[in-house]
This record gives sequence, C-alpha cells and structure tokens, in this order.
Amino acid sequence: MRHGKRLFIATFLVPPLVLYALFVVSPYVQVFQLATTDWGGLSPEAHFVGVDNLRRLFADHYVWNALRNNAILLVVMPVVTIVLGLFFASMLMVGGRRGRAGVRGVRGSAVYRLVYFFPQVLSVAIIGVLWKEMYAPNSGLINGALRAVGLGSLAHPWLGDPNLAFWCVLAVMVWSNVGFYVVLFGAGMQSIPRDIYEAALLDGAGRAATLARITLPLLWDTVQVAWVYLAIVALDGFALVQIITEGGPGLRTDVIGLRLYSTAFGEAKFGYASAIGVAMLFLTLSVAVLALRLTKRDRVEL
Amino acid sequence: MSAPSASDSSVSRRDLLQRATAAGVLAATGGGVLSACAMGGGGGNDKAAGGAKNSANPLGVSESAPLEVVIFNGGFGEEYAKAHEAMYKERYPKAEVKHSATIEISKTLQPRFVDGSPPDVVNNSGGNQIDFNGLVSQGALSDLAPLLDAPSLDDPKKTVRQTLLPGALLPGTYDGKTMALNYTYTAYGIWYSGKLLADRGWQYPKTWDEMIALCRQIKAAGLAPWTYQGKHPRYMSWPILSAAAKLAGPDILVAIDNLEPNAWKHDAIKTAAEAYYQLAVDGYILPGSEGMDHIQSQTEWCRGNAVFISCGSWLENEQKAVAPAGFQMAVAPTPSLTKGDKLPFEAMRGTSGEPFIVPSKAKNVPGGLEYLRVMLSRKGAADFTKRVSSLTAVQGAEEGLTLPPGLQSATKVMKASGDKTFNWVYNSYYRKLERTLVDAACGDLMTKRINPAQFVEQCQRGADEIARDSSIKKYKRT
Amino acid sequence: MTTTDAPPPTAVGTSRPPADRTGDRPPRRDSGIVDAFSHVFLVAWAVLTTFPLLWAVVSSFKTDEQILTDPWGLPSALRWSNWVRAWNAAHIGTYFVNSVIVVAGSLTLTMLLGSMAAYVLARYRFRGNRVAYFLFVGGMMFPVFLALVPLFFVVKNLGLLGTLPGLMLVYTAYSLPFTVFFLTAVFRALPNSISEAALVDGCGHFGLFFRVMLPMARAGLLSVAIFNFLSHWNQYVLPIVLMQGQGAEQRWVLAQGLTGLAITEGYRGDYGALFAGMTIAMLPVLLAYVAFHRQVQSGLTAGQLK
Repeated sequence: MRHGKRLFIATFLVPPLVLYALFVVSPYVQVFQLATTDWGGLSPEAHFVGVDNLRRLFADHYVWNALRNNAILLVVMPVVTIVLGLFFASMLMVGGRRGRAGVRGVRGSAVYRLVYFFPQVLSVAIIGVLWKEMYAPNSGLINGALRAVGLGSLAHPWLGDPNLAFWCVLAVMVWSNVGFYVVLFGAGMQSIPRDIYEAALLDGAGRAATLARITLPLLWDTVQVAWVYLAIVALDGFALVQIITEGGPGLRTDVIGLRLYSTAFGEAKFGYASAIGVAMLFLTLSVAVLALRLTKRDRVEL
Repeated sequence: MSAPSASDSSVSRRDLLQRATAAGVLAATGGGVLSACAMGGGGGNDKAAGGAKNSANPLGVSESAPLEVVIFNGGFGEEYAKAHEAMYKERYPKAEVKHSATIEISKTLQPRFVDGSPPDVVNNSGGNQIDFNGLVSQGALSDLAPLLDAPSLDDPKKTVRQTLLPGALLPGTYDGKTMALNYTYTAYGIWYSGKLLADRGWQYPKTWDEMIALCRQIKAAGLAPWTYQGKHPRYMSWPILSAAAKLAGPDILVAIDNLEPNAWKHDAIKTAAEAYYQLAVDGYILPGSEGMDHIQSQTEWCRGNAVFISCGSWLENEQKAVAPAGFQMAVAPTPSLTKGDKLPFEAMRGTSGEPFIVPSKAKNVPGGLEYLRVMLSRKGAADFTKRVSSLTAVQGAEEGLTLPPGLQSATKVMKASGDKTFNWVYNSYYRKLERTLVDAACGDLMTKRINPAQFVEQCQRGADEIARDSSIKKYKRT
Repeated sequence: MTTTDAPPPTAVGTSRPPADRTGDRPPRRDSGIVDAFSHVFLVAWAVLTTFPLLWAVVSSFKTDEQILTDPWGLPSALRWSNWVRAWNAAHIGTYFVNSVIVVAGSLTLTMLLGSMAAYVLARYRFRGNRVAYFLFVGGMMFPVFLALVPLFFVVKNLGLLGTLPGLMLVYTAYSLPFTVFFLTAVFRALPNSISEAALVDGCGHFGLFFRVMLPMARAGLLSVAIFNFLSHWNQYVLPIVLMQGQGAEQRWVLAQGLTGLAITEGYRGDYGALFAGMTIAMLPVLLAYVAFHRQVQSGLTAGQLK
C-alpha cells in the first residue's frame, strides 16, 4: 500500500509540476539571466553586461514615466472601483429600506446585477477595441451622444488630449471591473444578518452611516482581497493601453508592461527588457507585501 | 456534499495571500536551478548551393533553390508581390516560390531571425516593422552591393544602381553599405483637392504669408483650412523639416541625421515650427484632429471638411475607397517661408520607401537578391506602379502609364523639384527618434501645449538622448 | 501571474442565491423617493454598461459612411454583408474555431492536472508537500507579462511557437496557480470518513479520486472551470506573444484576430467589418453568460455552493 501511495502521488503531482516548472517557473528564473546581457534578440549573439541594464534602468525616464502612470493606476483605479462597487452593491442589497421587512434590495436588482456583469465576461481585446472607437472624436459614441443632446461643447478629442487620455484609459478599467465587485460585495452583504441593519435603523443611522459603520467593517476582508486583485490589474494594464492608445499621445499613457513589450519586440533589446521585468518582479512583491500590511485590520467576527 | 466552510476559507484567505507572497519572494530570489539558456537557436546553416556566376546569372542563383518571400500587407496589399513572384518563376521555372503576407512583420519574423531561419526576401514595412538599427547592428542583413553592381535586366550595359533615381539608396544605406532596398518613391508635400480649390477660385499658396491669408479666407468660408493625423502627429514634422530645409539649405538635414549637437536648434527649424504653430494659434486646424488617427483625419479631408493635409504620396492609394469621384487629389511643395529661401518653392522632399531586405541568414541569398533585381526591372516596376498607384525607385518606369490624378500630380511636382529634391533619414537610422520623440513634440506643438522654442528644445533633447545611448549604433552620412 | 483580467473567484461568506428575499412584500410609501433616488444611479450605470455594447452591434450593420459621420444614428438597413466580410475576409470565423479548439484543450487539461495536483496536495502527507503547494500558489502574485521574453523562447525552443497545442499548454500552466489554490481548499474540506471507508472497501487511490472525490467536489470544480473558461477565452497577452512566426496567422485566436482587424482597419478603412467582427466575438460569450448568469456569477464570486 505504501508503495502504491508513493506511485499515486508521483503520477498525480509530477505532470502538473513539470508543466508548471517549464512554462512558469523557468521563464521567471530566466528573466534574471537575460537581464544581465545585452542580447538583442535578432541573432544568437549576446554579451554579459552585469548590472549595466539595471543602471540604465534607473536613469531611463521613459521607464519612470511608465511607472508613474502605473502608480497612479494603482492608487486611483482600485479605490474608484471599490467605492463604486460598494455603492452600487449597497443600493442593490439594502437600497429599498424601510419596507415592512426593514432592509431589502431595490426592485429589479437581479436585472441590474445581470447587466453590470457584462464587461466582466468580455475579452480585454473587445473592450479595448470598442472603447477606442467610443472615444473617436467624430465617429465615436461619446461625442456623438454629447452632440445629440446639445452638449456639443463638452465634446473632446478624448484620446488625443494628453491631459485626458490617461484618465480615459483608467475609466475603461473601472468600467470593466465595477460589475464584478458589485456582485462580489453584494454576495457578501447578503450574508450579513438583516437584524444588524434593522438595529441600526432603529438607532436612526442614515444610509451613509450604515455603509461606513456596519457594511464596510463586515466586508473588510473581501474589500482587502479585491484591492489586491485590482492592484495586480493596475500593475499590468498592458493589454488595454496597447490596444486603446499604444501609450500615446506622447507616452502619456505608457505603462510598464507596454514599455517592456516594446523594448523587447519593438526595439529589439531583449536583455534590457528582461531587466525591466526583473525590476517589476520586485516591485510587484513589494506592493503585495505593502498591501497586506496596510490593509491589516482586525476583522469583525460575527 | 460540502465545500470549504465559511470560517475555513475566510481565515485562510489572508494567510494564503501572505504565504503566497513569501513563496513569490523565495521563487524570485532563490531561483537559478532551472535556468536554461533562452538564446539557443542559431541553426539554419543549410544554405542552398549557389549556381555558377556568369554574365547571364551575375548573382549566381541556383535555378532550383526555393525562394521565400514575406510581404508587409499594408496599404499596397500583396497582389503586386504575387506578380513579381510570377516574374521570378518565369525566369526560374524549377524554383518553388513561397509567398506570405502579414501586417505584423515584427511578430511574424522576430522568432525566425533569432532561430537563424529567416525568409529570403522581406518587405520590412509598416507600424510593426523590425527596428532597422537592431537588424543592421546585429548583422542580420545582407549587403546589397552585389545586386546593385549587377547588370540590370533591361540593359546589360547599365548596373542596377544606375537605373535607380538619385538618392533612392540613401535610406537603407548604413555607413556606406546598402542593407535595404527602398522600392517605392514617395513625394512628401501638402495635399489638397484640385476640384475644391478650383471651385472656390483659390490658388495653392507659394509663400507662407499667402498660406495664412488663404487660411483666413477658407475659415471665413466655413471650412477648416487644415487637418492632420492627430494620433501620429509626426506627419506634421515633415512640412516643418521641409520648410526649414528650403529656408536654410539641406545641410541642416544632414546635421539632424548625424545627431550633431544642437542640430534641431537651428533657427530655420524654429522659424518653420513658428509658421506651422501659427495654424494652431489662429484656429486653422479642424477641431478634434488631435484625437483622430490617420484614416479618420484623411477621411475628413476627403469629405471636404478640411482643405490641406500633410502626407506622402501613398495617400491616394490609402484613401481610394473614400475619396469622392472628381476629387482631383493633388500635392504641392511646402510654401516658402521667406523670399530669401535657399531652395526654390519647387524643392520638396522625395524619398524612397517600403524597405525590402535579404536577411544574411536566408537560405537563398542569391535568389533573394535576384528577386529584387526582378522587382527593379522596368517590367516589374511598371507593374507595381500600375497596381498600387505608387512610383518606384526605378527611373522612368512610370512613363507611358496612365496614372491616377494624385500620382500624376506627384510625378509633376517631383520633376519640377528635380535636383533640388532633398531628404532625411534619421527616421530609419533611429526609428524611435521620429516615431516617439519628435512625434510627441509635434503633438504638443500642434495643440499649443508647447511653443516653437520649446518644440525645438524637446526635439533636441530626444536627439541628444539617442546620441548618448550607447546601446544604439550610430550612423553618419554626408 | 494571473492569466486573466477577471479576478478569480473568492471564497466569500455567502451561500444564498442572489435574489430579493423579501421582494414579495409591497414597499411602504416613504421608500418611494429613496427608491427613485437609487434607481437613477442604478439605471445610469446600466446604461453605461450596455450602450457601448449595443452601439457595437448597431454599428455592425452600418455603412462606413454612416459609421464615420453619424455615430448616434441607426443603420438604414441590416447590412449582413459586413458580417460576411468579417467572418470570411477578416478570418474571424477561423479565429473563432481556433479559440474553441484551444479553450477546449486547455480547459480540459487545466481541470485534470489542476485537480490532480490539488487533490494530492490537499489530502496526502509527504515531504515537499508544502514546497510544491507554495510554488504553485506563489505564481498568483505576478502579472504574466513580466516573464514574457523568456517564455517566448521556452516555447520557441520546444518548437511550439505559433501552434495551438503550445498555446493550450501555456494557458494550462499559467492557470495552475489559481486552480491548485482553489481546489486544494475544496478537497481539504471533503470529509475524511468517506475516503477512509472507500479505501477500506478496496477502492484504490485512483478509484477513490475519480469515483468518489471528483464527484464530491463537483461544485468547486464547476466554479473553477467557469473562471478558467473565461480567462482562457479572453486571454490576450499570451497569444499575441506566442502565436508568432510563419503561418501563425492562420492559427490566431479570437482576441488576437480582433485587434489584428483593428490594425488592418488602419490600412483599409473597413469599419463595418470591424464592428461586425467585434459583435461576432462578443455575442456568443454574452449569450452564454445570460443563459447561465447565476452559475457564472456565483462561480466567479462565491466559490462555495451548497
């Protein structure tokens, strides 16, 4: 039996591990090796350059520019998404209060949840291409709608305006993520016993107070996890930016993923691109550690 | 049936994230076990045996060696290449010719370059072309000298080099070696609808003052005088550099190409930038232009919503589905900035484009060169011009063909420009300088976020940055 | 190392199907204003999520002329020719079939390998168990693009670049971290008594897994499968990097083909086909979602079903 068990463990564990080691672990390890070379990627020739790439990285203001954009995404995107998510979820779950049963969801909340979730099931490629067309100055829906309702003066060349382009991309990220968190937070809220809300009602707590003092603390764990996942989305951002703006205008929407990609596949500098990857690995880890630290807070036990 | 209970998972979730982070740290720092070299590759030395070189076969093509051609499937499509391939096949019936076309040249071919098994001929063009600086400095391309010194297919007394338009080899020549053959010939100027101007009784302006005066008239008539390819604002760097070169002479362009210190800060460039900046300041640009890509802005222009646009002579082909009948597309040189311009009004930028390369690791290098020789024959060139309405680098190949209006106009102004035609190549030496840095500066200038002084400053900063970057190989020209 | 933009299912404390539990009672009058207030915001966001999608569908029937000049207008006729062009000339049909093949393969493989690894890690004690577990789970922390460059060469050196099996294997590998993480929790929670009884009954380890444990973990498996399906179907970064090389264009997947179409549109100006392609890519997933929205939503969010 012991022998059989060993064999069983091996047959079950080895194939996934091999696959994983080959395609996931080894590339991450190799990033370190490539990062110390000046390899161009168009010929097999490469030279060891040590930490030159890292040194170059610190002086590369394009990298810093991209990082700054990622940093803004990292702070703003999760906050806006979570706030909107909580807001809509609480509307749906406890929006129609003071029924005989006390606190309940608004009418049609199932329909809202159905619809809000749409962007979540769409490919980032579809979302990107769609919004690129949405923002087009003359043929896009946004300006078209503004003009149709007589607000033509608000029409902008959205993605062509360096002060707006970045926020336009950020808005798309929020747009595509909010629905998921409405459903996630909504599910969380449903597990909060109604009598807690009703007690708060009796105490005369308002809508905002209920959300801040009751719902949020009870959902804190979920919010925290949401933040970590959104942070990972924010650190990436590559696909949307590449499709919608290609980093423009004038690199104002550049993000680190796009920088890495175009350094490698556009400028044929694979060694340097790997160095960017290495730096990002550590940055990602720091953000994750930091996120867990910052969100540390005693959970309310029910 | 059960699943993880609520308390179970909520307790462990945070824990797990923590431990996962720790595992990530371990994996990221402690690695090294699995480090297998990615840079392997390098096979593919099984070159096709060359044929004997003689006067009938100056490049030593093996008759039966297969030939593989990869075409950039952009504005010109791929049909022209099939015609060239048929001509090659006619000469070498035993050779198998493989054809493919893609809009993503870089993604398609990068792996094959690393692998050492690239195709024999590549049209390395388009937004996703492979960076030439990288290709040349990493030794990935064949020197085209044997082709250029071979007799042309039409006249054995002339070498291929002698059949080309003057200056056609300049882009694609790196430190004296021609590594890419730019096949098309493009006039860069200001485009307008001949019909629109005639209907309104307007004249294309020869000086900048006249241009501004006309713009005022156009605006009063309720049209936008200008539009530009807002998402690719580098299109506006072309008239600016052209106007500057006409003002101070083409030497300033050599200085730019050679990344000489303060080349961009030359007064002429600032003067030219001021002129085009004026368009933005006076509100002569179609609102919303900065948010449009090239198709969108060119379509606005075709629809008569804007009168002038800067572009190269591929414009006619690009817009052929949209341009209304009787549009009479026409191109003109940039208006002279002053009366004392070093070059006459007629002078304009003409350059070859659409770079074809023969990779050094290609299996059939002689065949690749021979294919280019076929393309450069009068028959090959005339066929190309007929199919895609573009001139080629071959002298006089368009003679006797009926050209569409835009191309007729381009041919006419190029003839008038004659030996005053000028060009710059910094964009093919240092792709990023034009595509990213100058591009951004033009975007800022045309939307009035920076003034002309800041514009030349910003371009110069970009050039200095390239000059300082030791990882980019530098080229000089005279 | 998540391969998706959708956040993975999280085990949140709920067990109820989302529904108005007290919706059958008529609201009292003073809730009317509040309800109206809520509805304004809720409707606004609903419009914001649906209009862009509707717009794409509507635009797919317009002529280029209408698309460029009248974004707000309705098409004058149902121009299916746009759809035909997108399906044939722009190869959206081919890409669609490729996507189906890849996802079918990668999803099967992910679920098989993922549940195998998770099961062993969850229910067997052996040396290296923790190491293997955290090696898998650690992968969840990094965006995939960080390893793009070497991944590209790993796949190339294996001769899998630009091939559908290559893409399946890579999708599977990058889905393992979350799948193993999630399913380990599921398997751990299965009662010991049953497995002991089964073993005593002479059921081998393999039989126990396939005949007893997998059926018991059905609900958890379904959640993870839905999650993985969406992330594989919508994957963008991996195919654009890995489906390269000669002839790879015939094996592109939908997400990639669509952005390819968007680039081509820059050279050909065929907006009608672009919107038609987008609609073709979007509709099947949306329809599947609407049909199974309960399962999808709870699969992605709740993760624990009773």
